[in-house]
Amino acid sequence: MFETPDDRKYQDSHEYATTGGDPVRVGISDFAQDELGDVVFVELPEAGDEVSQGEGFGVVESIKAVSDLYAPVSGTVAEVNDALFDQPELVNDSPYDEGWMLKVDGVDDADFEGLLSAEEYSEQTE
Amino acid sequence: MTDAGRHERDDGTPYAPHTPAETAAMLDAVGVDSEAELFDVPSEVRFEDDLGIDARGERELRAELSSMLARNDDLTEFLGRDHHTHYVPSVVDDLSQRAEFLTSYTQYQPEITQGFLQALFEYQSLIAELTGLPVANCSMYDAASGLGEAARLAGRVRSVSGTRVLVPEVLHENKRAVLRNYVDGTDLTVATYPMTDGTVDVDALSGLADEETALVYAENPTVRGTIEEGLSEVGAIADEAGALFCLGTDTVALGLLEEPASVGADVVVGEADALGLPTAYGMGLGLFATRESFLRQVPGRLVGAAEDEGGKRTYTLTLQTREQHIRKERATSNICTNQAWVALRTAMHLAWLGPDGLADLANQCVREAAALADRLDGLRGVAAPVHDRHHFREFQIRTDQPARAIAGDLESDGFAVHVVDDHRLQVCVTDVNAARTDALVDAFEEAI
Repeated sequence: MFETPDDRKYQDSHEYATTGGDPVRVGISDFAQDELGDVVFVELPEAGDEVSQGEGFGVVESIKAVSDLYAPVSGTVAEVNDALFDQPELVNDSPYDEGWMLKVDGVDDADFEGLLSAEEYSEQTE
Repeated sequence: MTDAGRHERDDGTPYAPHTPAETAAMLDAVGVDSEAELFDVPSEVRFEDDLGIDARGERELRAELSSMLARNDDLTEFLGRDHHTHYVPSVVDDLSQRAEFLTSYTQYQPEITQGFLQALFEYQSLIAELTGLPVANCSMYDAASGLGEAARLAGRVRSVSGTRVLVPEVLHENKRAVLRNYVDGTDLTVATYPMTDGTVDVDALSGLADEETALVYAENPTVRGTIEEGLSEVGAIADEAGALFCLGTDTVALGLLEEPASVGADVVVGEADALGLPTAYGMGLGLFATRESFLRQVPGRLVGAAEDEGGKRTYTLTLQTREQHIRKERATSNICTNQAWVALRTAMHLAWLGPDGLADLANQCVREAAALADRLDGLRGVAAPVHDRHHFREFQIRTDQPARAIAGDLESDGFAVHVVDDHRLQVCVTDVNAARTDALVDAFEEAI
Protein backbone atom coordinates (compact mmCIF):
# COMPACT_ATOMS: atom_id res chain seq x y z
CA MET A 1 0.00 0.00 0.00
CA PHE A 2 1.17 3.48 -0.78
CA GLU A 3 0.67 6.50 1.38
CA THR A 4 -1.94 8.92 0.06
CA PRO A 5 -2.47 11.73 2.60
CA ASP A 6 -5.83 13.53 2.39
CA ASP A 7 -4.54 17.09 2.92
CA ARG A 8 -3.98 17.33 -0.81
CA LYS A 9 -5.47 16.37 -4.18
CA TYR A 10 -3.96 14.36 -7.00
CA GLN A 11 -3.69 14.38 -10.75
CA ASP A 12 -3.93 11.31 -13.04
CA SER A 13 -0.31 11.90 -13.98
CA HIS A 14 0.63 11.42 -10.27
CA GLU A 15 1.42 14.96 -9.15
CA TYR A 16 -0.22 16.30 -5.97
CA ALA A 17 -1.25 19.81 -4.85
CA THR A 18 -1.87 20.65 -1.17
CA THR A 19 -5.31 22.07 -0.33
CA GLY A 20 -4.60 24.36 2.64
CA GLY A 21 -4.48 27.60 0.58
CA ASP A 22 -1.48 29.54 -0.78
CA PRO A 23 1.24 28.64 -1.17
CA VAL A 24 0.17 25.33 -2.71
CA ARG A 25 2.87 22.69 -2.49
CA VAL A 26 3.37 20.52 -5.57
CA GLY A 27 5.21 17.22 -5.82
CA ILE A 28 4.75 13.63 -6.93
CA SER A 29 2.95 10.84 -5.10
CA ASP A 30 4.39 7.94 -3.14
CA PHE A 31 3.09 5.63 -5.87
CA ALA A 32 4.88 7.67 -8.55
CA GLN A 33 8.24 7.71 -6.78
CA ASP A 34 7.99 3.94 -6.30
CA GLU A 35 7.23 3.40 -10.00
CA LEU A 36 10.13 5.59 -11.06
CA GLY A 37 12.73 3.96 -8.85
CA ASP A 38 15.77 5.86 -7.60
CA VAL A 39 15.47 9.50 -8.62
CA VAL A 40 18.83 10.91 -9.73
CA PHE A 41 17.93 14.33 -11.11
CA VAL A 42 15.11 16.84 -10.98
CA GLU A 43 14.73 19.79 -13.33
CA LEU A 44 12.41 22.53 -12.06
CA PRO A 45 11.35 26.04 -13.13
CA GLU A 46 12.60 29.13 -11.31
CA ALA A 47 10.81 31.22 -8.71
CA GLY A 48 8.68 33.78 -10.54
CA ASP A 49 7.87 31.47 -13.47
CA GLU A 50 4.25 30.73 -14.29
CA VAL A 51 2.91 27.19 -14.35
CA SER A 52 -0.34 26.10 -15.99
CA GLN A 53 -2.53 23.22 -14.99
CA GLY A 54 -1.86 20.18 -17.17
CA GLU A 55 1.27 21.73 -18.73
CA GLY A 56 4.79 20.46 -18.17
CA PHE A 57 6.78 22.29 -15.50
CA GLY A 58 9.85 20.11 -15.16
CA VAL A 59 11.46 16.72 -15.52
CA VAL A 60 12.23 13.95 -13.08
CA GLU A 61 14.94 11.48 -14.01
CA SER A 62 15.38 8.10 -12.37
CA ILE A 63 17.86 5.35 -13.10
CA LYS A 64 15.42 3.85 -15.57
CA ALA A 65 13.40 6.69 -17.08
CA VAL A 66 12.95 10.39 -17.58
CA SER A 67 9.41 11.66 -17.01
CA ASP A 68 7.81 15.02 -17.54
CA LEU A 69 6.12 16.68 -14.61
CA TYR A 70 2.71 18.25 -15.22
CA ALA A 71 1.41 21.07 -13.07
CA PRO A 72 -1.74 20.05 -11.12
CA VAL A 73 -2.67 23.74 -10.66
CA SER A 74 -1.99 27.09 -12.34
CA GLY A 75 -0.14 29.93 -10.63
CA THR A 76 3.17 31.62 -9.97
CA VAL A 77 6.12 29.69 -8.61
CA ALA A 78 6.89 31.23 -5.19
CA GLU A 79 9.68 28.84 -4.28
CA VAL A 80 11.52 25.84 -5.67
CA ASN A 81 12.86 23.06 -3.46
CA ASP A 82 16.58 23.67 -4.04
CA ALA A 83 17.47 20.75 -1.79
CA LEU A 84 16.43 18.40 -4.60
CA PHE A 85 19.31 19.55 -6.82
CA ASP A 86 21.82 18.07 -4.37
CA GLN A 87 19.59 15.38 -2.89
CA PRO A 88 17.15 14.19 -5.56
CA GLU A 89 16.64 11.05 -3.44
CA LEU A 90 14.40 13.12 -1.15
CA VAL A 91 11.70 12.54 -3.77
CA ASN A 92 11.91 8.82 -2.96
CA ASP A 93 12.47 9.11 0.78
CA SER A 94 9.86 11.73 1.56
CA PRO A 95 7.63 12.53 -1.45
CA TYR A 96 5.02 14.43 0.58
CA ASP A 97 7.28 16.33 2.94
CA GLU A 98 10.97 16.99 2.26
CA GLY A 99 10.61 15.89 -1.38
CA TRP A 100 8.15 18.62 -2.38
CA MET A 101 9.03 20.41 -5.64
CA LEU A 102 7.26 23.75 -5.95
CA LYS A 103 5.33 26.24 -3.83
CA VAL A 104 2.77 27.95 -6.06
CA ASP A 105 0.94 31.19 -5.30
CA GLY A 106 -2.21 32.66 -6.78
CA VAL A 107 -3.98 29.32 -7.24
CA ASP A 108 -7.67 29.43 -8.12
CA ASP A 109 -9.84 27.10 -5.97
CA ALA A 110 -11.51 25.95 -9.18
CA ASP A 111 -8.25 24.26 -10.20
CA PHE A 112 -8.86 21.66 -7.47
CA GLU A 113 -12.25 20.63 -8.81
CA GLY A 114 -10.81 18.53 -11.59
CA LEU A 115 -8.30 16.78 -9.33
CA LEU A 116 -8.76 13.45 -7.57
CA SER A 117 -9.34 13.12 -3.84
CA ALA A 118 -6.94 10.96 -1.82
CA GLU A 119 -9.53 8.20 -1.83
CA GLU A 120 -10.14 8.36 -5.58
CA TYR A 121 -6.43 8.46 -6.30
CA SER A 122 -5.60 5.48 -4.09
CA GLU A 123 -8.35 3.45 -5.76
CA GLN A 124 -6.72 4.25 -9.08
CA THR A 125 -3.26 3.17 -7.98
CA GLU A 126 -4.23 0.01 -6.14
CA MET B 1 24.40 -23.97 -35.95
CA THR B 2 25.34 -27.64 -36.20
CA ASP B 3 28.23 -28.96 -38.22
CA ALA B 4 25.71 -30.75 -40.39
CA GLY B 5 24.04 -27.41 -41.12
CA ARG B 6 27.34 -25.82 -42.01
CA HIS B 7 28.08 -28.51 -44.58
CA GLU B 8 24.70 -28.18 -46.16
CA ARG B 9 25.31 -24.59 -47.15
CA ASP B 10 25.60 -24.95 -50.87
CA ASP B 11 23.62 -22.03 -52.22
CA GLY B 12 26.58 -19.71 -52.80
CA THR B 13 25.63 -17.24 -50.05
CA PRO B 14 28.34 -17.54 -47.41
CA TYR B 15 26.98 -14.60 -45.41
CA ALA B 16 23.39 -15.86 -45.18
CA PRO B 17 22.62 -17.06 -41.68
CA HIS B 18 20.43 -20.01 -42.67
CA THR B 19 20.87 -22.98 -44.92
CA PRO B 20 18.04 -23.90 -47.31
CA ALA B 21 17.31 -26.91 -45.08
CA GLU B 22 17.00 -24.73 -42.00
CA THR B 23 14.78 -22.26 -43.81
CA ALA B 24 12.54 -25.11 -45.03
CA ALA B 25 12.27 -26.49 -41.49
CA MET B 26 11.24 -23.09 -40.11
CA LEU B 27 8.68 -22.50 -42.88
CA ASP B 28 7.26 -25.93 -42.22
CA ALA B 29 7.04 -25.20 -38.48
CA VAL B 30 4.95 -22.06 -39.02
CA GLY B 31 2.92 -23.65 -41.79
CA VAL B 32 3.70 -21.54 -44.85
CA ASP B 33 5.16 -22.56 -48.20
CA SER B 34 7.57 -19.72 -48.87
CA GLU B 35 9.33 -16.79 -47.22
CA ALA B 36 7.36 -14.38 -49.43
CA GLU B 37 4.18 -15.41 -47.60
CA LEU B 38 5.64 -14.00 -44.37
CA PHE B 39 5.73 -10.46 -45.75
CA ASP B 40 2.96 -8.21 -46.94
CA VAL B 41 4.79 -5.89 -49.31
CA PRO B 42 2.52 -3.90 -51.65
CA SER B 43 3.23 -4.69 -55.28
CA GLU B 44 3.75 -1.02 -56.20
CA VAL B 45 6.85 -0.77 -54.02
CA ARG B 46 8.31 -4.11 -55.05
CA PHE B 47 11.26 -4.12 -57.43
CA GLU B 48 10.64 -6.88 -59.89
CA ASP B 49 13.34 -6.13 -62.47
CA ASP B 50 16.77 -7.60 -62.80
CA LEU B 51 19.30 -5.78 -60.58
CA GLY B 52 21.88 -5.94 -63.38
CA ILE B 53 24.64 -7.27 -61.17
CA ASP B 54 26.59 -10.02 -62.87
CA ALA B 55 28.29 -12.58 -60.73
CA ARG B 56 32.04 -12.66 -61.19
CA GLY B 57 35.09 -13.97 -59.43
CA GLU B 58 37.14 -12.01 -56.91
CA ARG B 59 40.12 -11.67 -59.26
CA GLU B 60 38.00 -10.26 -62.11
CA LEU B 61 36.25 -7.91 -59.72
CA ARG B 62 39.51 -6.59 -58.31
CA ALA B 63 40.88 -5.99 -61.81
CA GLU B 64 37.75 -4.09 -62.80
CA LEU B 65 37.81 -1.90 -59.69
CA SER B 66 41.54 -1.22 -60.07
CA SER B 67 41.11 -0.01 -63.63
CA MET B 68 38.16 2.14 -62.53
CA LEU B 69 40.23 3.73 -59.75
CA ALA B 70 43.16 4.27 -62.12
CA ARG B 71 41.00 6.72 -64.07
CA ASN B 72 41.27 9.14 -61.12
CA ASP B 73 43.77 11.96 -61.56
CA ASP B 74 46.73 11.68 -59.22
CA LEU B 75 46.75 15.23 -57.87
CA THR B 76 48.59 16.77 -54.96
CA GLU B 77 45.82 18.42 -53.00
CA PHE B 78 46.08 21.89 -51.55
CA LEU B 79 42.40 21.73 -50.67
CA GLY B 80 41.03 22.46 -47.21
CA ARG B 81 37.91 24.40 -46.23
CA ASP B 82 36.92 22.35 -43.17
CA HIS B 83 38.52 19.10 -44.29
CA HIS B 84 42.16 18.84 -43.43
CA THR B 85 44.62 16.09 -44.03
CA HIS B 86 47.52 15.43 -41.70
CA TYR B 87 49.87 12.49 -41.84
CA VAL B 88 48.39 9.58 -39.90
CA PRO B 89 51.18 7.45 -38.41
CA SER B 90 50.96 3.74 -39.14
CA VAL B 91 50.60 2.94 -35.45
CA VAL B 92 47.02 4.27 -35.76
CA ASP B 93 46.17 1.84 -38.58
CA ASP B 94 47.92 -0.99 -36.84
CA LEU B 95 46.19 -0.60 -33.49
CA SER B 96 42.76 0.54 -34.68
CA GLN B 97 42.52 -2.39 -37.11
CA ARG B 98 42.84 -4.95 -34.36
CA ALA B 99 39.73 -7.10 -34.68
CA GLU B 100 38.61 -6.28 -31.12
CA PHE B 101 38.21 -2.67 -32.19
CA LEU B 102 37.37 -2.99 -35.86
CA THR B 103 34.51 -5.46 -35.49
CA SER B 104 33.09 -4.08 -32.26
CA TYR B 105 29.52 -2.88 -32.26
CA THR B 106 27.89 -0.22 -30.04
CA GLN B 107 29.11 -0.54 -26.48
CA TYR B 108 25.74 -1.24 -24.86
CA GLN B 109 27.05 -4.10 -22.73
CA PRO B 110 29.74 -2.75 -20.43
CA GLU B 111 30.52 -6.23 -19.12
CA ILE B 112 32.00 -7.24 -22.48
CA THR B 113 33.22 -3.90 -23.89
CA GLN B 114 35.54 -2.42 -21.28
CA GLY B 115 38.39 -1.93 -23.74
CA PHE B 116 36.47 0.14 -26.25
CA LEU B 117 34.62 2.05 -23.53
CA GLN B 118 37.93 2.97 -21.95
CA ALA B 119 39.26 4.15 -25.33
CA LEU B 120 36.18 6.34 -25.83
CA PHE B 121 36.51 7.71 -22.30
CA GLU B 122 40.11 8.60 -23.17
CA TYR B 123 38.90 10.33 -26.34
CA GLN B 124 36.38 12.36 -24.30
CA SER B 125 39.09 13.21 -21.76
CA LEU B 126 41.45 14.42 -24.51
CA ILE B 127 38.74 16.63 -26.01
CA ALA B 128 37.87 17.98 -22.54
CA GLU B 129 41.51 18.80 -21.91
CA LEU B 130 41.97 20.51 -25.28
CA THR B 131 38.79 22.60 -25.05
CA GLY B 132 38.94 23.32 -21.31
CA LEU B 133 35.29 22.27 -21.08
CA PRO B 134 34.56 19.42 -18.67
CA VAL B 135 31.96 17.48 -20.67
CA ALA B 136 32.70 15.96 -24.08
CA ASN B 137 30.52 13.35 -25.77
CA CYS B 138 32.04 10.43 -27.63
CA SER B 139 31.43 12.14 -31.00
CA MET B 140 28.90 13.37 -33.52
CA TYR B 141 28.89 12.64 -37.26
CA ASP B 142 30.78 15.78 -38.18
CA ALA B 143 31.22 19.49 -37.37
CA ALA B 144 28.01 20.48 -39.17
CA SER B 145 25.77 18.13 -37.17
CA GLY B 146 27.59 19.30 -34.03
CA LEU B 147 26.66 22.88 -34.88
CA GLY B 148 23.03 21.87 -35.44
CA GLU B 149 22.99 20.14 -32.07
CA ALA B 150 24.61 23.16 -30.37
CA ALA B 151 21.77 25.34 -31.68
CA ARG B 152 19.17 22.91 -30.37
CA LEU B 153 20.96 22.70 -27.04
CA ALA B 154 20.76 26.49 -26.75
CA GLY B 155 17.05 26.19 -27.51
CA ARG B 156 16.57 23.75 -24.62
CA VAL B 157 18.64 25.48 -21.97
CA ARG B 158 16.32 27.27 -19.56
CA SER B 159 18.62 30.24 -18.97
CA VAL B 160 18.36 31.12 -22.68
CA SER B 161 15.14 32.79 -23.74
CA GLY B 162 16.11 33.94 -27.26
CA THR B 163 15.53 31.90 -30.40
CA ARG B 164 17.91 33.40 -32.97
CA VAL B 165 21.12 31.67 -33.96
CA LEU B 166 23.76 34.10 -35.24
CA VAL B 167 26.30 32.64 -37.64
CA PRO B 168 29.19 34.32 -39.43
CA GLU B 169 28.89 35.61 -42.98
CA VAL B 170 31.90 33.48 -43.89
CA LEU B 171 30.72 29.95 -43.21
CA HIS B 172 30.95 26.74 -45.21
CA GLU B 173 27.70 26.51 -47.16
CA ASN B 174 27.22 22.87 -46.13
CA LYS B 175 27.33 23.83 -42.45
CA ARG B 176 24.73 26.51 -43.01
CA ALA B 177 22.51 24.00 -44.81
CA VAL B 178 22.83 21.36 -42.08
CA LEU B 179 22.13 23.96 -39.40
CA ARG B 180 18.96 25.06 -41.23
CA ASN B 181 17.90 21.45 -41.41
CA TYR B 182 18.45 20.94 -37.67
CA VAL B 183 16.45 24.01 -36.61
CA ASP B 184 13.58 23.22 -38.96
CA GLY B 185 10.53 22.45 -36.83
CA THR B 186 11.84 24.29 -33.76
CA ASP B 187 11.35 27.91 -32.66
CA LEU B 188 14.92 28.68 -33.70
CA THR B 189 15.84 30.87 -36.65
CA VAL B 190 19.21 31.47 -38.28
CA ALA B 191 20.63 34.93 -39.03
CA THR B 192 24.01 36.09 -40.31
CA TYR B 193 26.41 38.63 -38.84
CA PRO B 194 29.10 40.34 -40.94
CA MET B 195 32.84 39.81 -40.93
CA THR B 196 35.55 42.32 -41.59
CA ASP B 197 38.71 41.35 -43.44
CA GLY B 198 38.05 37.66 -42.81
CA THR B 199 37.30 37.70 -39.09
CA VAL B 200 34.31 38.55 -36.87
CA ASP B 201 33.14 42.17 -37.12
CA VAL B 202 32.87 42.57 -33.35
CA ASP B 203 31.10 45.95 -33.47
CA ALA B 204 28.49 44.72 -35.93
CA LEU B 205 27.97 41.54 -33.90
CA SER B 206 27.56 43.60 -30.75
CA GLY B 207 24.77 45.54 -32.46
CA LEU B 208 22.99 42.39 -33.62
CA ALA B 209 23.15 40.27 -30.47
CA ASP B 210 20.19 40.99 -28.21
CA GLU B 211 17.71 39.21 -25.95
CA GLU B 212 16.28 37.46 -29.02
CA THR B 213 19.61 35.71 -29.52
CA ALA B 214 19.98 32.09 -28.42
CA LEU B 215 23.42 31.26 -29.78
CA VAL B 216 26.38 33.09 -31.28
CA TYR B 217 28.58 30.89 -33.44
CA ALA B 218 32.14 31.73 -34.48
CA GLU B 219 35.03 29.68 -35.86
CA ASN B 220 38.72 29.59 -35.16
CA PRO B 221 40.29 29.19 -37.63
CA THR B 222 37.60 30.36 -40.06
CA VAL B 223 36.83 28.50 -43.25
CA ARG B 224 39.23 30.93 -44.95
CA GLY B 225 42.00 29.97 -42.56
CA THR B 226 42.07 33.28 -40.69
CA ILE B 227 42.78 33.19 -36.96
CA GLU B 228 40.34 35.08 -34.74
CA GLU B 229 41.95 37.37 -32.19
CA GLY B 230 38.86 38.86 -30.56
CA LEU B 231 37.10 35.74 -29.32
CA SER B 232 36.90 36.91 -25.71
CA GLU B 233 34.87 39.86 -26.97
CA VAL B 234 32.60 37.51 -28.92
CA GLY B 235 32.11 35.46 -25.75
CA ALA B 236 31.30 38.59 -23.74
CA ILE B 237 28.80 39.78 -26.37
CA ALA B 238 26.98 36.45 -26.27
CA ASP B 239 27.00 36.44 -22.49
CA GLU B 240 25.62 39.93 -22.26
CA ALA B 241 22.79 39.03 -24.64
CA GLY B 242 21.89 36.03 -22.47
CA ALA B 243 22.92 33.73 -25.31
CA LEU B 244 25.38 30.85 -25.52
CA PHE B 245 28.66 31.09 -27.39
CA CYS B 246 29.51 28.17 -29.64
CA LEU B 247 33.02 27.94 -31.05
CA GLY B 248 33.90 25.82 -34.09
CA THR B 249 37.47 24.55 -34.32
CA ASP B 250 39.44 21.33 -34.89
CA THR B 251 41.74 19.03 -32.97
CA VAL B 252 44.98 20.43 -34.41
CA ALA B 253 44.02 24.09 -33.99
CA LEU B 254 43.17 23.33 -30.36
CA GLY B 255 46.83 22.52 -29.83
CA LEU B 256 47.86 26.12 -30.41
CA LEU B 257 45.01 28.62 -30.58
CA GLU B 258 43.26 30.15 -27.55
CA GLU B 259 41.59 27.59 -25.31
CA PRO B 260 37.83 27.75 -25.96
CA ALA B 261 36.85 27.76 -22.27
CA SER B 262 39.13 30.72 -21.60
CA VAL B 263 37.33 32.86 -24.20
CA GLY B 264 33.93 32.02 -22.76
CA ALA B 265 32.82 29.23 -25.11
CA ASP B 266 29.78 27.36 -23.79
CA VAL B 267 29.86 24.74 -26.53
CA VAL B 268 32.72 23.65 -28.78
CA VAL B 269 32.08 21.80 -32.03
CA GLY B 270 34.30 21.00 -34.98
CA GLU B 271 36.07 18.38 -37.04
CA ALA B 272 38.00 16.10 -34.74
CA ASP B 273 39.06 14.02 -37.74
CA ALA B 274 41.88 16.41 -38.63
CA LEU B 275 43.75 13.77 -36.65
CA GLY B 276 43.32 10.03 -37.05
CA LEU B 277 41.65 9.94 -40.45
CA PRO B 278 43.33 10.22 -43.82
CA THR B 279 41.42 12.10 -46.54
CA ALA B 280 38.04 10.42 -46.37
CA TYR B 281 35.96 12.50 -48.82
CA GLY B 282 32.95 12.86 -46.59
CA MET B 283 33.32 10.82 -43.44
CA GLY B 284 33.93 13.04 -40.44
CA LEU B 285 34.14 13.03 -36.68
CA GLY B 286 32.25 15.76 -34.90
CA LEU B 287 33.68 16.91 -31.60
CA PHE B 288 31.19 18.21 -29.07
CA ALA B 289 32.10 19.62 -25.66
CA THR B 290 30.22 21.81 -23.23
CA ARG B 291 29.88 23.07 -19.66
CA GLU B 292 28.87 20.78 -16.82
CA SER B 293 25.63 22.72 -16.27
CA PHE B 294 24.45 21.53 -19.70
CA LEU B 295 25.35 17.89 -19.04
CA ARG B 296 21.77 16.67 -19.39
CA GLN B 297 21.29 18.63 -22.61
CA VAL B 298 24.21 16.97 -24.40
CA PRO B 299 23.27 15.05 -27.55
CA GLY B 300 24.64 11.60 -28.25
CA ARG B 301 26.63 9.11 -26.29
CA LEU B 302 28.57 9.71 -23.11
CA VAL B 303 30.95 7.22 -21.57
CA GLY B 304 31.36 7.51 -17.82
CA ALA B 305 33.84 6.06 -15.37
CA ALA B 306 32.49 4.06 -12.46
CA GLU B 307 33.56 1.37 -10.00
CA ASP B 308 32.58 -2.27 -10.08
CA GLU B 309 31.65 -4.40 -7.05
CA GLY B 310 35.29 -5.02 -6.27
CA GLY B 311 36.13 -1.31 -6.32
CA LYS B 312 37.93 -1.49 -9.70
CA ARG B 313 37.63 1.38 -12.17
CA THR B 314 35.19 0.50 -14.92
CA TYR B 315 33.46 2.27 -17.81
CA THR B 316 29.90 2.38 -19.08
CA LEU B 317 27.59 4.37 -21.34
CA THR B 318 25.97 6.84 -18.98
CA LEU B 319 23.06 9.30 -18.76
CA GLN B 320 21.29 7.24 -21.42
CA THR B 321 17.93 8.54 -20.20
CA ARG B 322 18.58 11.56 -22.46
CA GLU B 323 18.70 9.31 -25.47
CA GLN B 324 16.13 8.20 -27.97
CA HIS B 325 16.13 4.49 -27.12
CA ILE B 326 14.85 5.42 -23.65
CA ARG B 327 13.25 8.84 -23.88
CA LYS B 328 11.65 8.39 -27.31
CA GLU B 329 10.29 11.62 -28.84
CA ARG B 330 11.42 13.70 -25.84
CA ALA B 331 15.08 12.75 -26.29
CA THR B 332 17.68 15.52 -26.40
CA SER B 333 18.64 14.49 -29.93
CA ASN B 334 17.79 12.05 -32.69
CA ILE B 335 21.40 10.90 -32.87
CA CYS B 336 21.52 7.31 -31.62
CA THR B 337 25.05 6.52 -32.59
CA ASN B 338 28.55 7.89 -32.70
CA GLN B 339 31.70 7.56 -34.77
CA ALA B 340 33.26 5.20 -32.26
CA TRP B 341 35.99 3.76 -34.44
CA VAL B 342 36.99 7.14 -35.87
CA ALA B 343 37.05 8.62 -32.36
CA LEU B 344 39.30 5.75 -31.33
CA ARG B 345 41.71 6.60 -34.17
CA THR B 346 41.69 10.30 -33.29
CA ALA B 347 42.44 9.46 -29.64
CA MET B 348 45.31 7.21 -30.76
CA HIS B 349 46.76 9.88 -33.02
CA LEU B 350 46.49 12.52 -30.27
CA ALA B 351 48.10 10.23 -27.73
CA TRP B 352 50.88 9.40 -30.20
CA LEU B 353 51.63 13.08 -30.79
CA GLY B 354 51.45 14.07 -27.13
CA PRO B 355 51.16 17.71 -26.05
CA ASP B 356 54.48 18.79 -27.60
CA GLY B 357 53.93 16.90 -30.83
CA LEU B 358 50.48 18.46 -31.21
CA ALA B 359 51.83 21.96 -30.58
CA ASP B 360 54.64 21.35 -33.12
CA LEU B 361 52.15 20.19 -35.74
CA ALA B 362 49.89 23.20 -35.07
CA ASN B 363 52.84 25.60 -35.26
CA GLN B 364 53.81 24.06 -38.58
CA CYS B 365 50.29 24.88 -39.87
CA VAL B 366 50.87 28.56 -39.13
CA ARG B 367 54.48 28.63 -40.37
CA GLU B 368 53.92 26.80 -43.66
CA ALA B 369 50.86 28.88 -44.51
CA ALA B 370 52.75 32.15 -43.86
CA ALA B 371 55.79 30.99 -45.87
CA LEU B 372 53.73 29.85 -48.85
CA ALA B 373 51.65 33.04 -48.83
CA ASP B 374 54.84 35.08 -48.76
CA ARG B 375 56.30 33.29 -51.80
CA LEU B 376 53.07 33.53 -53.81
CA ASP B 377 52.78 37.19 -52.90
CA GLY B 378 56.16 37.70 -54.59
CA LEU B 379 54.74 36.60 -57.96
CA ARG B 380 53.62 39.28 -60.40
CA GLY B 381 49.85 39.80 -60.39
CA VAL B 382 49.35 37.75 -57.23
CA ALA B 383 48.50 38.99 -53.72
CA ALA B 384 48.52 36.66 -50.72
CA PRO B 385 47.10 36.42 -48.18
CA VAL B 386 43.98 38.34 -49.16
CA HIS B 387 43.16 39.03 -45.52
CA ASP B 388 45.60 40.91 -43.37
CA ARG B 389 45.40 38.31 -40.61
CA HIS B 390 47.35 35.42 -39.18
CA HIS B 391 46.41 32.17 -40.86
CA PHE B 392 46.15 28.54 -39.89
CA ARG B 393 46.85 26.01 -42.67
CA GLU B 394 45.05 27.96 -45.38
CA PHE B 395 44.64 31.38 -46.89
CA GLN B 396 43.12 33.09 -49.90
CA ILE B 397 45.02 34.45 -52.90
CA ARG B 398 43.96 37.32 -55.17
CA THR B 399 44.98 36.94 -58.81
CA ASP B 400 44.91 39.51 -61.61
CA GLN B 401 44.29 36.75 -64.10
CA PRO B 402 41.12 34.63 -63.99
CA ALA B 403 41.34 32.27 -61.02
CA ARG B 404 39.62 29.41 -62.81
CA ALA B 405 42.16 29.42 -65.62
CA ILE B 406 45.04 29.35 -63.15
CA ALA B 407 43.42 26.48 -61.24
CA GLY B 408 43.00 24.64 -64.55
CA ASP B 409 46.68 25.06 -65.42
CA LEU B 410 47.69 23.93 -61.93
CA GLU B 411 45.52 20.85 -62.31
CA SER B 412 47.30 19.98 -65.54
CA ASP B 413 50.51 20.20 -63.57
CA GLY B 414 49.16 17.88 -60.88
CA PHE B 415 47.86 20.29 -58.22
CA ALA B 416 44.35 20.80 -56.89
CA VAL B 417 43.46 24.20 -55.40
CA HIS B 418 40.11 25.72 -54.48
CA VAL B 419 38.53 28.40 -56.67
CA VAL B 420 36.68 30.96 -54.52
CA ASP B 421 35.52 33.37 -57.24
CA ASP B 422 36.71 34.96 -60.50
CA HIS B 423 39.91 36.32 -59.01
CA ARG B 424 40.40 34.42 -55.78
CA LEU B 425 41.87 31.03 -54.96
CA GLN B 426 42.30 29.29 -51.63
CA VAL B 427 45.10 26.89 -50.72
CA CYS B 428 45.70 24.74 -47.67
CA VAL B 429 49.11 23.54 -46.58
CA THR B 430 49.83 20.93 -43.91
CA ASP B 431 52.59 18.46 -43.08
CA VAL B 432 51.24 16.22 -45.87
CA ASN B 433 51.77 18.56 -48.84
CA ALA B 434 54.37 20.96 -47.38
CA ALA B 435 57.16 19.23 -49.32
CA ARG B 436 55.40 20.08 -52.60
CA THR B 437 55.11 23.84 -52.04
CA ASP B 438 58.24 24.55 -54.15
CA ALA B 439 56.69 22.71 -57.06
CA LEU B 440 53.35 24.47 -56.51
CA VAL B 441 55.00 27.91 -56.57
CA ASP B 442 56.86 26.99 -59.78
CA ALA B 443 53.65 25.78 -61.41
CA PHE B 444 51.86 28.91 -60.22
CA GLU B 445 54.51 31.12 -61.76
CA GLU B 446 54.13 29.34 -65.08
CA ALA B 447 50.34 29.56 -64.93
CA ILE B 448 50.17 33.35 -64.60
